[in-house]
Amino acid sequence: MTDTTAASLAAPAADKPAAGRPRRNLIALVLFLAAIFLVPVAIGDQFVYHVFITICLFAGLSTAWNIVGGFAGQLSLGHAIFYGIGAYAGIILMNMGISPWIGMFAGAAVAVVAAIVISYPCFRLKGPFFALATIAFLEVFRVLALHFSGLTGGATGLMIPLKLGWEWMVFRERLPALVIVYGMMLVSLAAAWWIRSHRLGFYLVATRERESAAQAAGVSTVKVRLIAVSVSAALCAMFGTFHAMYLTFIEPAAMFSLTTSIQIAMFALIGGIGTVFGPLIGAVFLVPVSELARGWLGAHALGLHGFVYGIVLVLVVLFMPNGLMGAMKRMFGKAEPERGVQAASVAATPRASERPAIGHEIMVADHLDKHFGGLHVTNDVSFSLKEGEILALIGPNGAGKTTVFNMLSGFLTPDSGGVKVRDAAGNFVSPTTPGDFAAIGVGRTFQIVQPFAAMTVEENIMVGAFHRFHDVGDAREAARETAHRMGLGPWLNAEARGLTIGGLKRLEVARVMAMQPRILLLDEVMAGINQTDVRRAIDLMLSIRDTGVSIIAIEHVMQAVMSLSDRVIVLNSGQIIAEGKPQDVVRDPTVIEAYLGKEFTHAHA
Amino acid sequence: METFLQVLANGLMLGALFAIVSIGLTLIFGIVKVVNFAHGEFLMIGMYLTFVVTGWLGIHPLYTIVIVAPLLFLAGAATQRFIIQPLMSARDDHIQIFATVGLSTALINLALLIFGADIANTPSGGLRTPVEIGPVRVLSGQLFILIAAIALVIGLRLFLQKTQTGRAIRAVAQNRAAAQLMGINVNRIYVLTFGIGAACVGLAATLIAPLYPTSPNIGTYFVLTAFVVVVLGGLGSIGGAFVGAMVIGLIDSFSGFYIGSDLREVAVFGVFLLILILKPSGLFGKSLNLSHVSP
Amino acid sequence: MKLSSLLKATTAAVFLTAGAAHADVKIGSLYPFSGQLALLGEESARGLEIAVDELNAKGGIQGEKIVLVRGDAVDNNQAIGEARRLISLEKVAAIFGSYSSARSIAASQVAELSGIPYFELGAVADEVTGRGLKYLFRTNPYALHMGEMIIDMTVKKVAPALGKKPEDLKVGIIYEDSSYGTSVSNHQKEFAKKAGLNVVVSSGYPSNTVDMSSLVLELKQAGVDVVLQTAYQNDAVLFLQQAGEQGFKPGAVIGGGGGYSTQPTADAVGHDKIEGVLDVDFTQYLVNTKATPGLEGFVEAYKKKYGISPRSGHSLTNYMGSKAILEALDKAKGFEPDTIVEAAKAIDIADGTTATGYGIKFGANNQNDRAKMMGMQWQGGKLVAVYPDEAATAPMKIGK
Repeated sequence: MTDTTAASLAAPAADKPAAGRPRRNLIALVLFLAAIFLVPVAIGDQFVYHVFITICLFAGLSTAWNIVGGFAGQLSLGHAIFYGIGAYAGIILMNMGISPWIGMFAGAAVAVVAAIVISYPCFRLKGPFFALATIAFLEVFRVLALHFSGLTGGATGLMIPLKLGWEWMVFRERLPALVIVYGMMLVSLAAAWWIRSHRLGFYLVATRERESAAQAAGVSTVKVRLIAVSVSAALCAMFGTFHAMYLTFIEPAAMFSLTTSIQIAMFALIGGIGTVFGPLIGAVFLVPVSELARGWLGAHALGLHGFVYGIVLVLVVLFMPNGLMGAMKRMFGKAEPERGVQAASVAATPRASERPAIGHEIMVADHLDKHFGGLHVTNDVSFSLKEGEILALIGPNGAGKTTVFNMLSGFLTPDSGGVKVRDAAGNFVSPTTPGDFAAIGVGRTFQIVQPFAAMTVEENIMVGAFHRFHDVGDAREAARETAHRMGLGPWLNAEARGLTIGGLKRLEVARVMAMQPRILLLDEVMAGINQTDVRRAIDLMLSIRDTGVSIIAIEHVMQAVMSLSDRVIVLNSGQIIAEGKPQDVVRDPTVIEAYLGKEFTHAHA
Repeated sequence: METFLQVLANGLMLGALFAIVSIGLTLIFGIVKVVNFAHGEFLMIGMYLTFVVTGWLGIHPLYTIVIVAPLLFLAGAATQRFIIQPLMSARDDHIQIFATVGLSTALINLALLIFGADIANTPSGGLRTPVEIGPVRVLSGQLFILIAAIALVIGLRLFLQKTQTGRAIRAVAQNRAAAQLMGINVNRIYVLTFGIGAACVGLAATLIAPLYPTSPNIGTYFVLTAFVVVVLGGLGSIGGAFVGAMVIGLIDSFSGFYIGSDLREVAVFGVFLLILILKPSGLFGKSLNLSHVSP
Repeated sequence: MKLSSLLKATTAAVFLTAGAAHADVKIGSLYPFSGQLALLGEESARGLEIAVDELNAKGGIQGEKIVLVRGDAVDNNQAIGEARRLISLEKVAAIFGSYSSARSIAASQVAELSGIPYFELGAVADEVTGRGLKYLFRTNPYALHMGEMIIDMTVKKVAPALGKKPEDLKVGIIYEDSSYGTSVSNHQKEFAKKAGLNVVVSSGYPSNTVDMSSLVLELKQAGVDVVLQTAYQNDAVLFLQQAGEQGFKPGAVIGGGGGYSTQPTADAVGHDKIEGVLDVDFTQYLVNTKATPGLEGFVEAYKKKYGISPRSGHSLTNYMGSKAILEALDKAKGFEPDTIVEAAKAIDIADGTTATGYGIKFGANNQNDRAKMMGMQWQGGKLVAVYPDEAATAPMKIGK
């Protein structure tokens, strides 16, 4: 019995107990959301309304933040910028006699522009540096809002005329305000849910986990993050407009405040960062707690409430690092069923009987030169790959093989020279970015495996499959198919971080294969896997070649090089020292010298 | 010309102030790689300690360093051991940032609880005496800060280069995994480094307390600037932080005089953003790869 | 839904306690009790508390005991939330507050929409009463009075003492750039222009600055005779210290309340260094008590209740305003919002009969038109009243 069938038998069995769960979860969710609206209406008290309006406001803001901070993993502590822009746009326009319903969208538009201008240069920054940059931008916005008092009213702030009614979004009673903010919160949740369950969400998470691997899979990482930050900023601005109408009075210190920014992020963190409903849970839990704590402790002593709040935050972070969602999952959810950890072998794939003939040149490396500081890493490297051919790139460590790969896939730009690829229509083009290379059908793997650790195996492969399919269902189908072909079937629902090194190497190839590339660049996919698997991997590569894919492989396993490749290029110290049929190349004295040193050559001679 | 020199002198003195506050953060941010938002609150604690100890023992504020610095060392080490270390393995570094935000909130409010919102005045102990150097005037206490900052930079560099522990710290900073393989107890080194960073802040506090009124919020005035300085100087580069602090001090002083006091923050943060975007390794960073370029 | 049932239970519990104490009349006390503004928020609230104690000792108002319910207005959203809680949960008859202008503006909009009277006893921004609200009253003097008094004092006292004509006097206006400093300085500029003063420097700065040396240099370079600073504590201390250290000695420094009125500022700067610095603010404690009857009684009550001397004039100002309002309510019948408004509008208290020296008569926008600031000077480590003359306990000392 092959593993493929074992997996297909095991899969439905594993899914069965889970089948009832989604529906139960959905009912719980609907009830929960309904309660947020119905509780204040049922109690009918103004203060309770206020608490729930605040809950909806922060749940919405936090959900919007989570699109950037959670899905895309960009820790923004400057989201109050967008909220503030929305607030100011709403009030400035209202004072000009324009309804905040219009001001809301005007504010969102301005916020999107601001978000793109701020984020674009900052995307190179990681983690804490991105956070510090967003704080700096926030401070700049606050000072500018103070300075340009003609527009913003400066430090004294802006007020709205107390014009009541739906048109002006200002009400004496609280119910309409709750209706509006509740609706906005639902929009925010829907946006987050939609993104997370569509291609964009997969791309964002992939970008967060491994930017380079995402690029190699054809993800335009900058574009997807700009989309995320735009959606997030627009939503925050709309909440800003609403809150300004609710406050009826705004000032720079309150609107562009670091405290608010941190709070927004904090709700997401406490609830469960990167999950769709975590921020909602966080706000529902934390807002009433802090309101009640303020009431109980605030009167006792100056600072007691803040002290307790701070301590609680530290404790929550220490003992629930995955937030409330994580804690709930641990309590209610069943542990992931243990799958066999023993690596299944690569599935034997029936070979096509006829190998297509080697065709014309499909990729040309033209005088590639690259320096790192004083080091000449590749020196005038030129070669070409023909259609349907397997070309092996070998050489001692530090010869510049991976650098050549990086130039062949757009991750590095050569100092001089270039790479040409023939597109599907038969014309030679010169792609420059990893995205261009992916788009034209060049797929690559990485020597050091680059899994999207927080995603399941299936989702990992789906990121590759999305290159061909827009729809999640199609991509999932393609990913499953690829996974079974690659012998990863049994692990479809396991998180990638749990795989063995052999499994990760296979996952690396599976993700690329799901893209169905025309040219495949494989960087040491056989390093560290056992003898049987090497044999099977060789078969697999041959079958890939037989479907018409052209392959360049960096490989140290000579067994594979000898049996696979049509042609071998030997690189040493950044230069091509030999090229030819595998049998010829291994006998070449220069090659032996490069690998084993001069003495060895002499001894043989 | 005289005014120009005075603005220059003011900028340098301000730079020295930023430097002495930031050097400890360089160790914490540069080596433990933790964005410690409670850094300013360590300074605040140190200043209150200086205030209290000076009052109790009736000694010159500078002598309190023998008490304040060790206490701050303990505070820093405890923070690393009990708050940061358990989170080191966390999925992403967001979590540590929020832990320190929580710590910062708790500490500010603790000070409010104990000392009230009023300012506390440490006796100046003669450190507010104006000193004339040619055409410019500065305070003796400010000169002290400058000298102490330079001494601290030299001392820490010697410590990091010449001692076994210092070399271990550098090894951990460069490559955590490799250091671990070499038999270095990485967690111990982190606790130690965080402690030393906090102790440096303690030293800063004893020098600053006689010159500035202490209040629960004093730390928030410094913390963002300190981060600016550390990033500007290049992560983990102590000499870089010193020069970075001087640059920020001068920008602050000159923009305050020639552009306007209300816009000097824009100037400081503007320069910070430019450096961050154009040269993320800082002015003196040794091509530390902060951006994520290729595998 | 555990959380909502918990919340329901809590709400119900609060309702029950509210019901039990129904014989009393509830008044909201809405101030920032935590956060950055806590110190003077608390100080302000104490004035209200003493006024309430005093009236309760006399048997309450309209025979009912006054119960104060605290609300913590730590930020604007919170000010709104707490105002809502006071109004809907606690069912207060009126809200008294709130020290901070921003909190006041935010919370009073809520009160206005709910039709609950809001008495502002201490916030100074123009916008508090500038909005034409029906239920909002302000008893204390505000930014306009402060600017007016500072310029008045500069023209009538400082200029002659320095031997200069007002138009020859070089004035430097510096202010912290939040709402407080901005609105006071705007009035200063406006009145200075009217009085023909020569304003040569006008500059804002963030109040949390750690260095003011470049601003000091700017003033020194411009040859400023009189510095008008509107500041909180930190920046007042910094400016006075750095001015001395940079050898900048203007003819006069006039502070606009805030940090200039507090004892810790004088202690921090040094009594010898702050000697002669002028200040315009709410009435403080070292005044000619003939002009401020009731002041000594207040100080005594304060010491008895809190064990220390009042830390600033905020408590006194809040005391005077709340006392007058509550006494007016005593004469009214019932605690309906419109009754309270009517009672407040009927108040007519003459100057020289209250603990702060000024009277109360609400004019346009429900601002107390009789409210006045007072001119004071640091002499021998104490803040003594020097202007106007009838309240002065010591002559103003200016010039050498």
